[in-house]
Amino acid sequence: MLNIYEQVDRNKKRSFLIMAVFVVFITLVAYVLGRASGYSSSWIAIGLIFSGTMSFASYYWSDKIILGISGAKEANKKEYFNFYTVTENLCLATGLPMPKLYVIDDTAPNAFATGRDPQHAVVCTTTGLLEKLNRTELEGVIGHELSHVKNFDTRLMSVVSILVGMVALLGDWFLRSTRWGVRGRPARFALRSMAGGNRERDEGNLGAIMFVLAIVMALLAPIIAQLIQLAISRRREFLADALSSMITKYPEGLISALRKISADIEPLEAANRATAHLYIVNPLKGDEFKGKIAGLFNTHPPVEERIAALSGLK
Amino acid sequence: MILIPIILVVIGLYIWSLYNKLVTTKTRIKASIQEIGNQLKRQAEMIPNLIDSVKGYMKHEKDIFKGLTDARKAILEATKANDPQMMVDASEKMQKHFGQFMALVESTPQIRAVEAVTKLMDELRDTADKAMYSRRVLIDLSADYNIMIVTFPAKLVAQLLGFKEEKGLVMPEEGEFREVSEEERKTPKVKLE
Repeated sequence: MLNIYEQVDRNKKRSFLIMAVFVVFITLVAYVLGRASGYSSSWIAIGLIFSGTMSFASYYWSDKIILGISGAKEANKKEYFNFYTVTENLCLATGLPMPKLYVIDDTAPNAFATGRDPQHAVVCTTTGLLEKLNRTELEGVIGHELSHVKNFDTRLMSVVSILVGMVALLGDWFLRSTRWGVRGRPARFALRSMAGGNRERDEGNLGAIMFVLAIVMALLAPIIAQLIQLAISRRREFLADALSSMITKYPEGLISALRKISADIEPLEAANRATAHLYIVNPLKGDEFKGKIAGLFNTHPPVEERIAALSGLK
Repeated sequence: MILIPIILVVIGLYIWSLYNKLVTTKTRIKASIQEIGNQLKRQAEMIPNLIDSVKGYMKHEKDIFKGLTDARKAILEATKANDPQMMVDASEKMQKHFGQFMALVESTPQIRAVEAVTKLMDELRDTADKAMYSRRVLIDLSADYNIMIVTFPAKLVAQLLGFKEEKGLVMPEEGEFREVSEEERKTPKVKLE
């Protein structure tokens, strides 16, 4: 078992590793595409600039990007008294600086934390969570999120969200745009140009690139899923649960909260494949299509196991 | 012979970092005592408001009001004395009376409907939580600190620089077992002084 300092160190190293792997990977893809189209050096430059910018953005602005795609708005003390004061109190207990607080207007109860370090941390919950949990349960959940902040899990998980998750989302998008196409044309052009058709060559090339990208992405999707799992490791959820109970000294609060959250079958609209692993409980449940992918992207240990582990702490 | 200055530098660095650590912990201990005091003061300020806003609904509950007022006085005295043990005892007293009061409010729907009352109750609960967490921080920090200054080799440095043991807190709700051991731990110290 790692102690908290080793855990922090490891999370920092892994965040950096993922950014490095991302730059190398995208540049490599660019190189392959460049070789295929005959302009290899400019493709590499584009790949480097793109992946470099993305890595930079994923480090410095991951919190803003994630809050943006989740449609979260800032929470004030007056309107969300319990959320605000509970966070304040747990920060008092842990010695962490007060994070920024956000809420997502959704009745499905869930919560996540993001931000590159404790000084730039963000804790975000849904309005459903604040309505359905009492103060003690909320303490358990916020304690869990603050533990992620303290461990630097938030840095790693946010970087993974932006870099690895975005590749997965882009894959989805490419696949959709070639299969059905916004105009329904790229796929046909792709096939024709691959078959050696010379007419409308430029457009055909674009289609072909899209098509190849889509296939590459489709093949990559399971690997990416595996990557997220590897990077995130479900153990950190257990660790955050345990640390939460250490802060609140009341595991029952978190147990009851986990029960309530997992019993709620409503899927969270704001969550997607890139951000699902951030949440305290998998938000993609219920929805059949999303649910299937969630099985592939199983970044959360079963709630029953977490409850059993927490019960052992009593 | 080059080893000697290196060893001296290492020892110097060790003392330096240990001194900083001890001073930081002491400051944090002071800050948590301060925080407990602040929260209790806030609590004491809110109690009269709360009593005023519910008086009309529960005229015959004089005992509870008297209990709250007494507890409030104890808190004000304790914060004036700035003694953490007194503060904790006073807040324990307050929690007891406040618990009775809460139960009464919960069972009286007319009072629960008054927004000012629920707001005050929320605030009071929050101050109580804050005082509790600061108290825990105080306990944990003084325990860490006390262990630090009695274990070798930090003990030597602590003695050299004159760091003394911090008084912990006796927590009434943690049962007699803890209290007794706390007393036992204190007895030899009394003899020394």
